Amino acid sequence: MSNFEEIIVSKQAVPTFAVVILALIFGFGLFLVGYDQGHLFSIIQGAEAFDDLFIHELTHDMRHAAGFPCH
Amino acid sequence: MKTARFIALVLLAGCFAGIIHGTANLVIVEPYLDEAIGIENQNLFSSGEKQDTPEFWVEYSSYRDWQKGGQVLAGAILGTSVGALFGIIFAFSRRSLPGNHNVKKALILAGIMWLTIYFIPFLKYPANPPTVGDPETVVLRSILYLSFIAISGFGALGFYKLSNRLDKGKKIAVILGYAVFISIIFVAMPQNPDEVTAPMDLVIGFRAMSVIAVSIYWIALGIILGAFWQKLQPDKSLQTYTS
Ligand SMILES: [Zn+2]
Repeated sequence: MSNFEEIIVSKQAVPTFAVVILALIFGFGLFLVGYDQGHLFSIIQGAEAFDDLFIHELTHDMRHAAGFPCH
Repeated sequence: MKTARFIALVLLAGCFAGIIHGTANLVIVEPYLDEAIGIENQNLFSSGEKQDTPEFWVEYSSYRDWQKGGQVLAGAILGTSVGALFGIIFAFSRRSLPGNHNVKKALILAGIMWLTIYFIPFLKYPANPPTVGDPETVVLRSILYLSFIAISGFGALGFYKLSNRLDKGKKIAVILGYAVFISIIFVAMPQNPDEVTAPMDLVIGFRAMSVIAVSIYWIALGIILGAFWQKLQPDKSLQTYTS
């Protein structure tokens, strides 16, 4: 006969992999909303992206509203 | 800790809080942005740079609609990324945060982060509506703003680490230490070089609404992430032993 026992184990260690992923997302998202002036799309679109300012216009109002420096 | 569950709950909580932030902006901040951009248009007309023609307004409203539509999407992106930072810090500090419910713990951390990486930097470099900022100084202003946030954030983290080495009764000294530290930085950092030329009541109204909307974000983030954590318990796992 065997008894089953269920216990809740608390694993405190924060996985490094998760921290790296979350830190990358933090940096990327902050740059996109706060600072991009066409950089992201220039990777695929070339120099034209800096004139189109696709991301800049899209995130523009949030940039002002969230307190990032703008125009 | 369950890695996938942890990442997913953090990102989802940030995204939801960000959508709430973007929606709040649409309702309470946009009217001020419209007013500021209206002044900008008048300046363009009076300087002769643009003509007050129907074509101008067609083009204007198409990109303004695009910018407004972006509020919610940009809110989701910004919310997710700030939420990611919040999730990392929450995972490391959860056990030392006061309270026995994760929503309470998350709200306390959200309050600390709101103060140190948002509100104190805001007091030094307040948000401005369109027309105030000089495009020539945007890089300098970005560097100043980011540096101040980083100094304040890392300063708070440093004093927190210090507090772990002190007895319970001396913790107040750490808060005082941070207050002195950030006051010195506050005075020492250079001012925003731009002069505010827009009407002051427009600027003040805009700033007040901006603070309210960002504060709504931090409250929502604390509640949502705390509730997800409480429900999903990513740091606990059920194990079955046979004896
Ligand atoms: Zn702007």
